[in-house]
Order: sequence, then structure tokens, then C-alpha cells
Amino acid sequence: MFFNSIDFFVFLPIVFGLYWLIGSKRIKEQNLLIAIASYVFYGWWDWRFLSLILFSTLVDYTIGLYLDKTEKLSKRKALLWISIGVNLGFLGFFKYYNFFIDSLVDSFTFFGKDLNINTLNIVLPVGISFYTFQTLSYTIDIYNKKLKPTKDFVGFMAFVSFFPQLVAGPIERATNLLPQFSKERSFNYAIAVDGLRQVLWGLFKKIVIADNCAKYANIIFSNHTEYNGSTLLLGAFFFAFQIYGDFSGYSDIAIGISRLFGFNLKRNFAFPYFSRDIAEFWRRWHISLSTWFRDYLYIPLGGSRGGTKMKIRNTFIIFVVSGFWHGANWTFIIWGALNALYFLPLLLTNKNRINTDLVAKGKYFPSLIEVGQMSITFFLTLIAWIFFRADNVSHAISYLQNLFTSSLFYKIEIFPSTILILVLFFIITEWLGRNGEYAIEKIDFIKQPIRWAFYISLIILMFSFTGEEQQFIYFQF
Amino acid sequence: MKKFFQKIALFLLLTICVGEIAVRITHVNADIPQRIIDADGIQKYYPNQEGYWKGGDHKWIINSMGWPGELPKSYDNLISIIGDSYIENFMNPNECHQSSYLKKQMPNYNFFEAARSGVTLIESMEISKQIDSLKPILTVIHTGDGDIYESIKEIISLTDITQLNTNKEIIVQGKMKSPGLKKVLYSCKLLYYLYNRFPINLGNETKEDSKNIKVESSKFETNETKVRILINYIKNNYNIDDKIFVFKPNSDKNIINIFKSLGLKTILLNPSNDKSWSFDYDPHWTCYGHERVANQISNKLKSSLIK
Repeated sequence: MFFNSIDFFVFLPIVFGLYWLIGSKRIKEQNLLIAIASYVFYGWWDWRFLSLILFSTLVDYTIGLYLDKTEKLSKRKALLWISIGVNLGFLGFFKYYNFFIDSLVDSFTFFGKDLNINTLNIVLPVGISFYTFQTLSYTIDIYNKKLKPTKDFVGFMAFVSFFPQLVAGPIERATNLLPQFSKERSFNYAIAVDGLRQVLWGLFKKIVIADNCAKYANIIFSNHTEYNGSTLLLGAFFFAFQIYGDFSGYSDIAIGISRLFGFNLKRNFAFPYFSRDIAEFWRRWHISLSTWFRDYLYIPLGGSRGGTKMKIRNTFIIFVVSGFWHGANWTFIIWGALNALYFLPLLLTNKNRINTDLVAKGKYFPSLIEVGQMSITFFLTLIAWIFFRADNVSHAISYLQNLFTSSLFYKIEIFPSTILILVLFFIITEWLGRNGEYAIEKIDFIKQPIRWAFYISLIILMFSFTGEEQQFIYFQF
Repeated sequence: MKKFFQKIALFLLLTICVGEIAVRITHVNADIPQRIIDADGIQKYYPNQEGYWKGGDHKWIINSMGWPGELPKSYDNLISIIGDSYIENFMNPNECHQSSYLKKQMPNYNFFEAARSGVTLIESMEISKQIDSLKPILTVIHTGDGDIYESIKEIISLTDITQLNTNKEIIVQGKMKSPGLKKVLYSCKLLYYLYNRFPINLGNETKEDSKNIKVESSKFETNETKVRILINYIKNNYNIDDKIFVFKPNSDKNIINIFKSLGLKTILLNPSNDKSWSFDYDPHWTCYGHERVANQISNKLKSSLIK
């Protein structure tokens, strides 16, 4: 079930009504409803893969309890590795099996030997990368004694499958989300209204910005040899806003819906395109994944505490693994490596944490230097997005070769002015609202009639600019 | 919680009102004329309606006889034109109707149009029976492969369209499909806009089913016998001497040959060596397309069919 589908607009009010009808005192029943609703939500896509979630839930629930019972380090380690093995085993099989087989066959062919191993026709279960990491955080945190295991199986089931963030995040930590399933959730009018507002903004990002940008990004990327450099740059620009609108839109909807049910999810995006350097960009883009890798991979590897070599190694590992997490394709690995190359100079010169505050805080306009910094950072991400979007590495290289020619300064061949105006409106709104959790969070200072007129305008824009329904990009990860 | 639901309800109501106003002002939907089924079982429009086509560039009108377009000034030397949405032609202004172009080409004749979107060939024949009371000297019936296959209940069963049961050789009159829902939809423009933008299947037949039926029905070999029964039925049950069947471009030559072999007069429209007759995102003819169609028909009528 997609958030931007009619099915979901029927599903959500029913679950919302039943949830609050049960009453905030009956936590177990509410959790059971969430678990059932989440399984229905997921099963709507393909019920067969519910068994995967259930199995993963059972394994981590049981391992969590055993981890708590034993103090013996070797046994604890073994239990942790079982959890990691099962979770990453599923992920590895469904997501990476064919990639490894293809790469193996290619390597043997390169050295002149034929290897006859066939790839399998595997369907990637939606959201497997997200819920796998979420359940892994649970067992790792118990192993590290940062969290006590839960004995409430239904609550744990609801935590793993929580429908607002099940298929595309934010990737929640057990330390943040799980305790919320054992506490009383009371309905709060202000929070619910704020949640709905965030859902509205998320839908606007997805339906108006992402889907419309996707239309042109797809045309330009599919026929890149037919366009001049300036048009190809516009194609990358469209993709940058497609992926941002799509993914951050999904996160906004997930966070907003969770608020309707009395849950508080982590922030996943913090206006990344207003970053002044790549380090800041990575503190603002897909925060739940970046911090997951930081806490469970980068820091255990030694982080940036060691010498230069270790810093370089760890940085490359975390970015390449992050790229690989997105998909079994060399394009994602190069995308990750490219970002590591962008990031390393800042890390090695200790300039990776100079831009930690809000850009142009308290001002309407940024300084010229800030404009320059933001433009350079955005341009660098744009180049990296080309690898992310391309079908394969040669497609990306060919795209870049066609982009960086003298035709970069020619007239743009595709210029959808209406869509560009909408993107401009989006950028301005995000800029003005950048001190909030999301762009229109702090809109309350405006009088209600104007505020409502703004909301209605967003809805009208959504209906007017609904293109062909595009699936959320991050579902495939 | 109560306050939350009250505000949501108020907000939704306001949104619907603003949306309704916006849709009406911008004419983002085409206005849809209301239909009736008359005493002869013919599905036509309520007389004397008018409304805007999408975007509000022009208006369509329904004349006092319940058909789109203007009535002729005289009924002498009358040629009637029967067809589906191509001839109904809501998407173009009145001056782009077949009757207007044909009148320019053949000023001594008067033209009367009776068209409704979705009519089948057998329904066109039923309409022609009614129009015969106006004593036309000729009746031009526009048709195509789809209109012929959809005339046969055994190929595709459609409850809202008049069809022929080829097994029993009886006419099965069409019924109004969801008239209540249509009335609500057409009155509430926002709802109709949403219905068009985000269609939901309300019938039993799924989209996939109808796709499959279309694939099957497009095979002439499979349906030849039924098509022959239909055309024979037309020959035996209607006055065909003054009828001319105009086939849309690219119609199946096998079907046209059956018409010819049974002595029915036909014209096959030919758009080759010409620029497109249709809109970019709509298969219906533009004003240019209609003009070209009228030219081909008038040439044929003048050269051989009118004595």
C-alpha cells in the first residue's frame, strides 16, 4: 500500500478511528491493532513476504531475551552473530545474491575463465533494508547493554512492523521507538494537527515536486545522448529534487502519521540542499541511516580516532557500504565512494564540523559566501546523483561526458517552466521554514484563514499536478 | 479529539467548496449533458442543454431533438448523419461539425446530426429508424471495427449500450448505467474531476477483463460468423437503400468486404498523405480532421452516391 494511494486514504482513517476508540489506557490492544494494521499494510503489496518480517521478529525477540539471560561473552557474541547472520543473510540473499553472482562471473570472464552459475529470479521484498537495520539495532543495543529486552512480543512485533515507517524509514532505533510501545499514548490535539500538517507537506513534496521532476529526469536520463550539456545538467537537477522530494516526502508522511498515533519518530532530513559543505550535507541527508552507520559501523571500526590511514579507510568503508545499502549496483558503490572523496578533505583538515548551525540563522537572505558554499555543495551532490540515477556505470560516464562539453552553455532544450516555478516555490518555502523540523512547521504565527488558504492551495496543487503515480524510490532499497 | 474531528470536517468542507469553485471557474472538466432513454428505447440527451468543453474555450449545445449541434434551417433535401463521439464532437466548436462542413461543400442539401458517444452500429441503425420519420434522402452512418464488435452481445456484453443477441437475433436495449451516480457526479464538478483523474472501477467487469475482451474481439477470424449475422440482420431489418456506411480510417477490410458483398454502400476514410486528423492526446478529430472527413464524404456522395 502506498501513502499516495486511494487504498491508504481509506485504510488510515479506519486504523486511526479504531486505535483511539480502543483508548489510551489499553496499550496492549492498541499495540495489537498496530501490528495487525502493519501486516495488512505490508501484505497489501505481497502477503508472502510477511513471513520474512515475522521470522526476523521472532529471531530477534528470542535472541534479545537470551542475551539478557547470559553474561558469558562468548555466548553473547554467538547470539549477536546469529542475529546479524539471519538478518543480513535474508538481506544478502534477496538483495545482493544476483549482484555477487554476476560480479563473480564477470571476474572469471575477465581472467579468461567461464563460470556457469545462474542468477535467480528474486523479488526484492519491499523495505527489507529498513526493517533489517531496525531489528539489528535492537540486538546490538542489548548486546552493548544500552537496552533491556522487551518481554512484550506484540509490542515488539508492532515496533518491527510499525506501518508508517516500515517500508522506507526513518530507520528507528530500538532505544527510541520501542519504549514508546510500552508507554501510554494520549491524543494531543496540537501534535495531531502538526502531524497532519507534516503529512500534507510530505504529500506535496512527493506528488507535486518529486513526481513531476521524475517525468523530466526520466526523459533526459533515458535519451541523454540526444541532449546538450545544459539540458543534461537540468536533468540532474530534476533528479536531485525528485529524490529529495520523494524520500523526504515519505519521511514527512511517516513522521506525521506516527504523530497521529502518539508516536515520535526521528527526524530524517534537515534541509540538506542548504548545506555549506558535504559534511553538513551528510548530517542533514537520510539522518537515520547516516547515524546508524556511524554508531554501528564507523565508531566500532575506530571512527576518526586513529591516524590518517584509519580515517581514510573508515570513511571509505562507511560511504561505500552506505552506497551498497542502496542497491546491488556498481553505480551506488561509486556514488558512495565519490561522496567519500568529497568528505575526506574536510575530515583530514578537521573542517568537517565547521558548519553545524543553521545557515543564515535569523536572516532572510544568505551572504554571498554562503550562497557560493551552498551552490558548490549542491553541484557536487548533483554530480554524484548522476551515478545514483544511472542504469549502469557506462550510462553515468556517458552522461557526464555529454554534460561536460561546450554545449553546457547552450540553450536548454527542455524547459518545463511550470514545474520549475513549482520547484522554486518549494525551495523558497523550505528556505523560509528551515528553522523548523519541516518547512511549514512554524506556520502557526500566520492567522488561521490565511494558513488554511495555504493548505488548501497545496491540496489544489496536488490534484492539479498529479502525474502518473510514481512508486516511492526508496521502496526498492 | 472532538475538536480535532470538528476542525478536520470544517477544513474538508472548505476544501471541497474551494475546489468546486476552482473547478467551475477554470472549466477543468468538460460539462456533461444529461441523458434520457426515449419512448423508442433510444439513449439520447435532454433537449436544449448547453455547457462548456474542457478549458471553457467553446460551448456545446443539445438541440430541441436531443442531439448535439444545431438543427438544419430546412428539412428539404435532408441528409442525416449518425455516429458516435467523433460525430457528437463536443471537443470542437459548432462550426467544426460534419453538418457545417458538408453544408459548405453541398449547399443545396441540409444536414441533420444524431450522434452520441459510445453508440454501437446496431444502435445507430435504431437511431436511423427513428430519423427516417424526417424523410432524409440519405443517411450517413459513421462506424468502425469497435462499434461493430460492441454491437454483438456474445463478443462483449455491455449493459449500457444497445446490442444484438446474435444467437436469438433480438435487440437488447441498453440501460442507463448508474444514473443516480452520474447525476451526482455531473452536478458536483469537483467530484467529477476527481472521478476522471483517479478513476475507480465500480462495475463488475475489471479493466483487465475488458482489455482481454478487446484483444479477443479484435480478431476477425474468431468473430466472423457473429459479424456476418449482425450485418445480415441489419440488411434484413432496416431500410438500407438510403444508408451509407462510413468507416473510420484503418478499419478492417474483411468487415468492409462483408458489407459490400451484401450490397451495402460503404466509404472508407483515408488519411494517408495528410497531416494528423486527431488531437495530440485524444483520438478524436480536430477541426482540420473533420474538414478532411467532410471533403472525402462529399466527394464520394457527389461523384457516385447521389443521383
